[in-house]
Amino acid sequence: MAAPSAPAIDPVTLAVPFFILAIVLEIILARFGKVKAVYEAKDTATSLLMGFGSGIAGLLTGGVVFAASVWVYKYHLFDIPMSAAWAWLAIFLLEDLTYYWFHRLSHERRFWWAAHVNHHTSQHYNLATALRQTWTGGTAGTWALWLPLSLLGFPPAMIAIQKGISLVYQFWIHTEAVRRMPVWFEALFNTPSHHRVHHARNPRYLDSNYAGILIIWDRMFGTFVAELDEEPCRYGVVKNLGDFNIVRVAFHEWVGIFSDLLTARSLREAFFYLFGAPGWSPDGSRQTSTMLKAQWADMQTAEPVKTDPAAAS
Amino acid sequence: MDQKYIITQLVTLAIVAGIMGLVAWAKIPRATPALDEAEVKHRLAEDFPQAPLDQIWLAIDGAGAIARSGDEALLLFRLGDSYVSRSLAWSHALQADLIKGRYWFKFNDFAAPKASLALAPDWAQAVTGETI
Repeated sequence: MAAPSAPAIDPVTLAVPFFILAIVLEIILARFGKVKAVYEAKDTATSLLMGFGSGIAGLLTGGVVFAASVWVYKYHLFDIPMSAAWAWLAIFLLEDLTYYWFHRLSHERRFWWAAHVNHHTSQHYNLATALRQTWTGGTAGTWALWLPLSLLGFPPAMIAIQKGISLVYQFWIHTEAVRRMPVWFEALFNTPSHHRVHHARNPRYLDSNYAGILIIWDRMFGTFVAELDEEPCRYGVVKNLGDFNIVRVAFHEWVGIFSDLLTARSLREAFFYLFGAPGWSPDGSRQTSTMLKAQWADMQTAEPVKTDPAAAS
Repeated sequence: MDQKYIITQLVTLAIVAGIMGLVAWAKIPRATPALDEAEVKHRLAEDFPQAPLDQIWLAIDGAGAIARSGDEALLLFRLGDSYVSRSLAWSHALQADLIKGRYWFKFNDFAAPKASLALAPDWAQAVTGETI
């Protein structure tokens, strides 16, 4: 059957006024002490300009991504109607599962981390941080992970709409203003608490909570870590950036990869510099998340848990 | 490029500027009191948990510090209302350029190419007293 290839609605475009209003509200409420939120001027400018640049970068690669989706759809295995409720439930679950693996890949393999790391470079966690989006995601090619959905028979427009819904959902969880949602909600959905953990650089919290909308995937695949009140999240990356230059934010890991490739002494080294875990080095002189977590775990057995009074204040 | 797209981009930039104005008005960054030795130790222990600190030199403006850990120098410097840390060889740290009262440290790292600290005279003594 014929299905619309271009989405009739774009949830992200529709949500832009909500994004702006929510950021404005978060700042004003924090100003009057009604909610917890920390905004630093240059950090906020960086986040917003990264979001602005991401829109332009997305325009350059969006056509190719959508064309690939339409091309694959020509060979679809099943006819899945956009008008059926079951089809929307199915795309909701399958898109969210795809997002989980995309996100996990984007953290655990350096090539894709290079495209995603910019989202984690803020040492703040507020609604503006949500807009600190990638400039190089399209060229990194992770969009190919969604192509099997087209092959299954989900119309490209349906996939695009669901991806937009997921992105819109993930905006509101970038906040410290909401401490915890009701227990049933925390069990099922990605929440500010779960996602704070995802943005934290504390070794305990590294490489966890990759969920888009449903946190159940992290629980199923063993990557769920709960936020502990006694260990406040320290946001950012393991080695934070030295300034607010948006070109550095967008490209620093790509430059790092390129520099390392120039020093590679074998194809194996080149491969691991590209596709190994972030922090991989031939002699182990740098640290991956796994190494940092192991080091932290060793230290926990030697001494009691330390809390962070600076972050808690 | 069509006119509608350009107008959309200009409106977006105007909104960004408006939010920046709001942030400036709200004044809600983290507090950044001058660092003391205990705070420096605490922060460096987070980023370099296995590095024993031999000595610490605090910046006179309280916005950073340098510590010696064996053959390594550990730097902590303020960025906005947050801090960034890096390590470099102690011998390289001693070669920091002094420009207008600030020592400039260079890292071989595109993510943080350099940092400056306003270090007190006792750091200069450390520099001149060292044999590299």
